[in-house]
Amino acid sequence: MKRFVSSIVLTLLAAAAVPVAAAEALKIGAPAPDFTLPSVAGGNVALKDLLAKNKAVAVIFIATRCPYSNGYNARMAALGKEYQAKGVAVVGINSNSTEPADEVKEHATKQGFTFPVLKDAGNKVADLYSANKTPEVFVIDPKGALLYHGRIDETHDRPNDVRSPDLRNALEAILAGKPVPAAETKSFGCSIKRA
Amino acid sequence: MPGPLALVAGGLLLGASVAVAAEPVKQLLPKHYQARVVAPRQGRALLVNFWATWCEPCREELPALVAASQQFKSRDVAVVLVSLDSYKTGRTAVPAFLEKQRIPFVCWLLKAHDAQPFIELVDKSWDGALPYSVLYDRKGKLVGRLSGKQTQSSFIEAIKKALS
Repeated sequence: MKRFVSSIVLTLLAAAAVPVAAAEALKIGAPAPDFTLPSVAGGNVALKDLLAKNKAVAVIFIATRCPYSNGYNARMAALGKEYQAKGVAVVGINSNSTEPADEVKEHATKQGFTFPVLKDAGNKVADLYSANKTPEVFVIDPKGALLYHGRIDETHDRPNDVRSPDLRNALEAILAGKPVPAAETKSFGCSIKRA
Repeated sequence: MPGPLALVAGGLLLGASVAVAAEPVKQLLPKHYQARVVAPRQGRALLVNFWATWCEPCREELPALVAASQQFKSRDVAVVLVSLDSYKTGRTAVPAFLEKQRIPFVCWLLKAHDAQPFIELVDKSWDGALPYSVLYDRKGKLVGRLSGKQTQSSFIEAIKKALS
């Protein structure tokens, strides 16, 4: 009986995980949900404040322990510096229940991230965005509309062989006032470890 | 290339002990997915598990998949793996992991510079997050998806649905 109940509980837990992961993604052009989250460096960061001061905001769901996300660390650090100077805010969000805030802070410091990294306890913002993996990028215009959703580029482990710099292409198009050439892209990634 | 021998081996392994050694990992080009992974297994329900050695929940769920597969007869159900490790490192890391963990399934290693066309080809509703499994019925029609880390029970339920 105990075994039977355990089996049911495990089944329910697995079933419960699927709808969240399979939740419908935000559509391009749809309003991006506002959020306010604590930065691991201290203080809170609100999306609406970033939107008010910038030409666009790139929200990147990241991880400390995901080798796929970590393959992009140097590129994320470089993109952050380059585009912050051009008036685009970059913000990292860590929604993994398995990665505590102090670990996220240490990781951000070690990787030289100059953009704020926020801790999404309870993965509430990941749920709002239907973010499912790391890294996963959402670019939002000052009016709060989603302009780009997807990957940074097509290769996590060959930074010198990037042929499709999709996030960079999107940001350049936005800064030039042009439509984003590929507004939705896909890549592999670590699933977000939800609470 | 997975010929009849691989098919037979994959089928027999389902009901066998997990102590059976894994087959050599094969290269998979995206354009060969249907012809080499799905089509040869028509007549049985098929679960294709997409995983990578760098993916912790993928590694964690494989024993549950092995246990789940052993609940079915090899003539009814096939389970195969597709590794999404980098082709460069995966050629050694994937077989080493499968052998060490005694994972008995047929496994391919994807060879593709850009994953996006492969993700779209397998399942347009898949966003690329791992682990991910798709299930095909006996006619080779995609009838189920499992996103995120699964349990033995959830694998069994999904396979039963693919068989029904």
